[in-house]
Amino acid sequence: MNTQTIPGNSAPSSSPARPNALVGILKYAAFDFRRQLRMFESLFFIIVLPAALFIMFGSITSYGDFPAGHGTVSGSIATSMAVYGAVTATTSIAGSAAVERSQGWGRLLALTPMAQWQYVVAKVVVALAIAVLPVVVVFVVASMTGAELGSLGIWLSAGALSVLCSTMFALYGLFFGLMFRSEAAVGAAGGLLVVLGFFGNLFTPLSGTMLEIAKFTPLYGIHGLATWPQMEGELMSSMGEALDPDTLGMLVTSVVVWTVIFGLMALLAARRGTRRA
Amino acid sequence: MNTPAVQLIDLHKTFSTRGGKVRAVDGVDLVIETGEIVAFLGPNGAGKTTALDMVLGFTTPTSGQCLVYGSEPRKAVRDGRVSAVLQTGSLLDDLSVRETVAMVASQHGVHLPVDEALERAGATNFAHRKVSKCSGGEQQRLRFALALLPEPDLLILDEPTAGMDVNARRDFWAAMHAEAERGRTIVFATHYLEEAEQFADRIVVITDGRILADGTTEEVRALGGFRTVSVRWNDDDGDPTAALADIPGAETVQVHGGRTVFTGPDTDAIARHLLTRTSANDLLIVQVPLEEAFIGLTHKTTDQASTEQQSVEGAQQS
Repeated sequence: MNTQTIPGNSAPSSSPARPNALVGILKYAAFDFRRQLRMFESLFFIIVLPAALFIMFGSITSYGDFPAGHGTVSGSIATSMAVYGAVTATTSIAGSAAVERSQGWGRLLALTPMAQWQYVVAKVVVALAIAVLPVVVVFVVASMTGAELGSLGIWLSAGALSVLCSTMFALYGLFFGLMFRSEAAVGAAGGLLVVLGFFGNLFTPLSGTMLEIAKFTPLYGIHGLATWPQMEGELMSSMGEALDPDTLGMLVTSVVVWTVIFGLMALLAARRGTRRA
Repeated sequence: MNTPAVQLIDLHKTFSTRGGKVRAVDGVDLVIETGEIVAFLGPNGAGKTTALDMVLGFTTPTSGQCLVYGSEPRKAVRDGRVSAVLQTGSLLDDLSVRETVAMVASQHGVHLPVDEALERAGATNFAHRKVSKCSGGEQQRLRFALALLPEPDLLILDEPTAGMDVNARRDFWAAMHAEAERGRTIVFATHYLEEAEQFADRIVVITDGRILADGTTEEVRALGGFRTVSVRWNDDDGDPTAALADIPGAETVQVHGGRTVFTGPDTDAIARHLLTRTSANDLLIVQVPLEEAFIGLTHKTTDQASTEQQSVEGAQQS
């Protein structure tokens, strides 16, 4: 039997000519980004809810103008809401990507030259692009209602940190998507973010035992890092007592440890998925 | 000289499950030449999909070799030489038909223009409809359009007409005929004998992960067992089992309630004999649903063949 692979050997039509990997990723990401923008129901919660929460807790309050770090309390709450919006976005995009693949879209893409890693990169690009939206909306609303972070550089770095750190929640979303393979589970994962957000010090300043517990939860580190440019680890207190500031090392450690935990969970879920399939 | 489209060499695929190992594909040897139209015929769970999954590079063989145009399946896919219409699932509900094709096309290097793929698959009239609003047949035509994008030399169809009504099924095969005439090699899995007969040049019967029969449509049909002749037997003609030897083309006989059922490779001959030489009446020639025929074939191999439940002798592969 003759099995050599001389190019152009046998059978009619079609020359290889594979597309450039990067171009492929960008094209796919562009299609998918447009697609996500059209899904109004899920986008509404991702983009509008954080801004609405900001208006409720951050701008129409008596303490909003109090100084905090380099800016105001209201500014710090804006960053918190930006973080909340960004992690909701990455959770949702990554989670539905996993569901999408498990339902057979992955098999379809496997019939194209697109490699798995290209799909993952494309989805990360989309997730980050979507995560930018709530951050921008919250910050625009915040700046219009007089919130202060200190300087333009702090606004930009707080925004960038919110988006970048939110990538670890892509793993969190991936875990739920791979584990339960349904959009409902991904929705539930998004709902659970409210609880994690509460413990992450996003919605209301914690103190005492609650604060001690909170320091071990996944959103705490992200929140600390995103507000770092403004607060530099200082904690706000609703009761007026003095709280020990967080150190940069502790916040980074929290983000790293939780990224590893979510990564392992996603990996286990992925293994379970392929075994069943 | 020509490299075959597909070469399966002692192909095995074993899955580990809680209940032990499942041999989904258990030693398959097969060569499909360029230009052939081949049906993989077998009941659900026979291993058809697993075999095709290996040809498409979705899974790797446990042992043995699977070559597509002489190379690794995954390479053939990347080169756009092989594509497939997959079983259910696999589409994004929120996209329109045209968007789906455009999105997938963006990942192929060289591909048919989106509109031409839609046209050829007969999906132009509903190109702007959302996938979620498409009927099963329309979704299947969309999958067909996607498969045509890279202009593959080899087209794999896994139960392509599942969930289609009669008209949709006819249209689908008409479109497929057009593709076959362009010189594509087509391999499809089905559990409808009728579909295999009408469209394929060659039928490969698969059960329990093995090839049970492989031949032209006529050859496979001639294996018998796919049709039966049943009559109301007249006891004046004696015992039907004894009469069996006298009936040309008959191999087995069973008595079901009031009816006596003969099977064999040549049902016409059986019928002619019964009507002219015996006083049997109320004759029916019945196409046995394939599932039932397979049960017969499979039982034969698993040694459960009682004299009553005899089935197709010739089905054993030589």
